[in-house]
Amino acid sequence: MWNPVVVLDNGGGLIKAGLGGERDPSAVLPNCLLRPVSSKKWLVPPSTTTSSSHDDSFDFTSAAVRRPLDRGYLINPDLQRDIWAHLFSSLLHITPSQSSLLLTEPLFALPSIQRATDELVFEDFNFKALYVADSPALAHLYEASRRPHVGSRAAQCSLVVDCGFSFTHAAPVFQNFTLNYAVKRIDLGGKALTNYLKELVSYRSVNVMDETFLMDDVKEKLCAVSLDVARDLHMARTSGKNNLLRCTYVLPDGVTHTKGYVKDPDQARRYLSVADVDGDPPAELGSKEGMDHFEITEKHEDRKRVDLTKNEFELTNERFLVPDMLFRPLDLGMNQAGLAECIVRAVNSCHPHLHPVLYESIILTGGSTLFPRFADRLEKELRPLVPDDYQVKITTQEDPILGVWRGGSLLVSSPDFEAMCVTKSDYEELGSARCRRRFFH
Amino acid sequence: MDDDNSNPFRRMSSRTRKVAPRMAAALASSDNRTQAALARLEALENDNAGMETVEINDEDDSSLDDEDQGYMQKRQSKGTKRKTRQAKALENARKAPRTFLELLHEANLESLPPHVPSYLKAAVGPPSSTSRRHFCTVCGYAASYTCVKCGMRFCSRRCQNIHNDTRCLKFVA
Repeated sequence: MWNPVVVLDNGGGLIKAGLGGERDPSAVLPNCLLRPVSSKKWLVPPSTTTSSSHDDSFDFTSAAVRRPLDRGYLINPDLQRDIWAHLFSSLLHITPSQSSLLLTEPLFALPSIQRATDELVFEDFNFKALYVADSPALAHLYEASRRPHVGSRAAQCSLVVDCGFSFTHAAPVFQNFTLNYAVKRIDLGGKALTNYLKELVSYRSVNVMDETFLMDDVKEKLCAVSLDVARDLHMARTSGKNNLLRCTYVLPDGVTHTKGYVKDPDQARRYLSVADVDGDPPAELGSKEGMDHFEITEKHEDRKRVDLTKNEFELTNERFLVPDMLFRPLDLGMNQAGLAECIVRAVNSCHPHLHPVLYESIILTGGSTLFPRFADRLEKELRPLVPDDYQVKITTQEDPILGVWRGGSLLVSSPDFEAMCVTKSDYEELGSARCRRRFFH
Repeated sequence: MDDDNSNPFRRMSSRTRKVAPRMAAALASSDNRTQAALARLEALENDNAGMETVEINDEDDSSLDDEDQGYMQKRQSKGTKRKTRQAKALENARKAPRTFLELLHEANLESLPPHVPSYLKAAVGPPSSTSRRHFCTVCGYAASYTCVKCGMRFCSRRCQNIHNDTRCLKFVA
């Protein structure tokens, strides 16, 4: 008898959920409860995939946030249950007791957290069966399925760099299994970057300490990775209109627009079109990195004068210094190696025969890899650290946020998926710890 | 349901509230600067969680829509007996979500044999080069000077004045 399999990529920032076998998840929503200032109740945020009127009416301004995951790991199962209950009944419309579940779990989840997860799945929701996957293996599976022609070597093993909301992992995957002894982690992810940007803007211009979602938007629209920090710092100092980095973000006023926006998208895009060559002025202002999604919101004459009725702030060097922290955590005072060195260490922990193969199939996944020029910068830093005779090839995913979910969806459609699951009766008979051995955790 | 009791807390950003005691402790200890830096790093993982009083709610379902009630029936049925205040406090302490660091401490990963990969061993470790770029805490550009009082960086006389007025040892609020 066929039963639906729910694929649930339970991230610290976004939940990606849908039914196995489909190409895209049917629900993507922030994994948190929000309490807007106008309300006394904690609400489940709207799904970002459904663009209904309900979506716009949700007031994210100064909303208080509670997250069930801390540093990527489940710490508040009660909260997670509330969010999942809403997800299953109102967004996915499934009955858990008649479905199986594929759930992603961060690497090295503590035994107590694994137990809490199992209790949540089997005792609170009564799922029929559970498969726990880790995200690097799923990202690898998806990429391997997309390029079967590259050769059997690359299809079997790759190095997945998962730079998400809570942390960054460099994980070698061999034949669909993550080599957990070689995984290296940097404790920096999108959340820390947003908070860092929040802190900088709050100190320098407007207090936005409570505006998590607004600053997420600022970070996504305006931040980019620099290929030459010294040059860009110099560039950011120039005054007036020649400054390619300066751009203005307008805060929502709650009356005419409830969402913040970039004041002048052309101006913001200028930085992205700066060529790699030193001192080369931007010749063309055309969109380069697929940044066409900026909406033109203001006429040209409006942008010349400063509008005092609007709350806005300017960004210059923050635009590249914030994502730069992933490459140099030490600058933040965090005593950890940067991303390039992290990759090298992960590879060096593997068998020497794997080194060349791993370097030539590096897969970038996770939302924080969406910064423009992320892959270029990584390659630039990685190349000098890798032996000359090895090739370095970095693959970016077309949608890094959904890559892991798509891998999960593929895995569910494979014929032997059912045999890999732990069923509810297994769980009741053996308990959590014994069941977990099946997943080699 | 005790959301509506008048809140004694002044409305302020959650960061100030969480960091300030730690900052105060840092100032009292011998190694102020590293402590303050650690507290600042930890603040990068904070959420604006709103008022702390909400955590003490004994009804967890404050957020639910009507259609989710089915899941809740089971849990509500057990709470028929009236609880004393002390029992409630104990219950809340047990139910209160713990931070990941507390759970990590409880898991006692240090006791595992050295060949077992664990959360602690997966951390990437310190970088090979310890050269650190310093950015001005006021304007963000390369900073050549260090504040003698607190150790933060600034790049010019102008930024130093701003730093002294607004930031230097001001975080104890």
